[in-house]
Amino acid sequence: MIDERHEELAALHAFDLLEGAELAAFESALAADPELRALVASLRATTAGLAFSAPAVPPPSPALRARILNSAVPVPAADSPAYVLPFAPPPWLGWAAAACFFFAAVFFAGKSFNVRGQLQFALEAERVARLEAGTVKNLLEAERLLSRAQLDRLASSERLVADLRREAGVANLKIASLKSLAGNSPEARAIAVWSPDRQEGVLVVSNLPALDLDKDYQLWVIDPQYPIPVDGGVFTVDAATGEARVNFKPGKAVATAQVFAVSLERKGGVPKAEGPMMLISN
Amino acid sequence: MSDSSSIDAAPAADDSRHAFDAELLRRAGAGDQSALGELYDRWVRPLHALACNVLRDPAESEDVLHDVFVTLWQKAADFDASRGHAFSWAATLTRNRAIDRLRSRARRAELLAQAAPADLGYDETNTPADGGDTTWLKEKASAVRQALSSLPADQRDALQLAYFGGLTQQEIAGKLSQPLGTVKARIRRGLLKLRDLVAPQL
Repeated sequence: MIDERHEELAALHAFDLLEGAELAAFESALAADPELRALVASLRATTAGLAFSAPAVPPPSPALRARILNSAVPVPAADSPAYVLPFAPPPWLGWAAAACFFFAAVFFAGKSFNVRGQLQFALEAERVARLEAGTVKNLLEAERLLSRAQLDRLASSERLVADLRREAGVANLKIASLKSLAGNSPEARAIAVWSPDRQEGVLVVSNLPALDLDKDYQLWVIDPQYPIPVDGGVFTVDAATGEARVNFKPGKAVATAQVFAVSLERKGGVPKAEGPMMLISN
Repeated sequence: MSDSSSIDAAPAADDSRHAFDAELLRRAGAGDQSALGELYDRWVRPLHALACNVLRDPAESEDVLHDVFVTLWQKAADFDASRGHAFSWAATLTRNRAIDRLRSRARRAELLAQAAPADLGYDETNTPADGGDTTWLKEKASAVRQALSSLPADQRDALQLAYFGGLTQQEIAGKLSQPLGTVKARIRRGLLKLRDLVAPQL
């Protein structure tokens, strides 16, 4: 007999609405209970049937069929063409991810040494873990560029610290950590990696408060050559974790990215910061 | 659409149709391109409607369909008919790819603003256009829509947002302005009822 709680989880699972610990716990229960598996299978078949309830739309272009059949060609076993990446990530992204990982670790390790008591230490360690989890996304993308051996070394050895510092320098990247100075988001942290050469950057944030529907976070790049900060674009965060990973490209050429800042603004962003400053780099 | 080696006529009965789909998928898995073409002809309408209802963008929906059919071609050999119908597999793949694409747009707030039960609701008058092998599609659509119409509106809205909206539990609750627990209960009750109503016809 399946109780209501498990029926509810099964229904949510059928819609792929379970996440995190709730999903892991349910999948454990699923593995151990054939009756529950049968329920999930029947509910999944039902959800798939909802496809039939979609209102009809004009048919796709006639060329789509030919396009698909042209793509459905067996790959020859020999003399196959060289593998081409489906997209080309920025060449500095690998080093950005590596440097981000390194600086996040150094930043929080340094902080943890300065705080008093084991409790504070544990809190800092948790923050580090959260940011490191965020950088995993970068590392996954970097995997295309970095060899497996390099990644293994990165994950396990401190010997790379010097290498990373040198490589970040070679790549001419600016790394900045952002935190709250106003005290309105004391748990929030971010790392910005900026490539002056490409005029692009990556921002990884965690623990920012969930946004109201009419709000966005907006990134600013402070360059002394401009009287007001340069707009780096708006972004949202995961409502549950406050995390986000944002590739940004400011609208103006940035000569010196002196400071990065994040403010809370109305939906869509503003040309000049109006809302409270949530994070700022030192 | 099919060449001389393909099966000549689709069986009318559901079991036969499912078996025919599975056979086409098996042939596609063995490298028979004409079988993939037949699957495309049989499934493209409902899968396209599904992708369009998730993405609200015909061009992106075509990209999703391209991705889905190429994946079916590559993974057809992995299909296990004992675990479900071939069309269910294709529909699940299409929905997942469409939602992945929706989420990759990195504009969750915009998504929230777009997704509305009223927009996602069925319209009994909005049936597939004539042409091709659409009788079965009309029958299925009619059965699922009738079943949905028999559910309380709050349960129907919750199910449609959960399926087409690409939202999280919390976002669905926010969209419906209901506590999360209420929304979960509506999804549970609605889906169990829908299963009892449509399972024999899917």
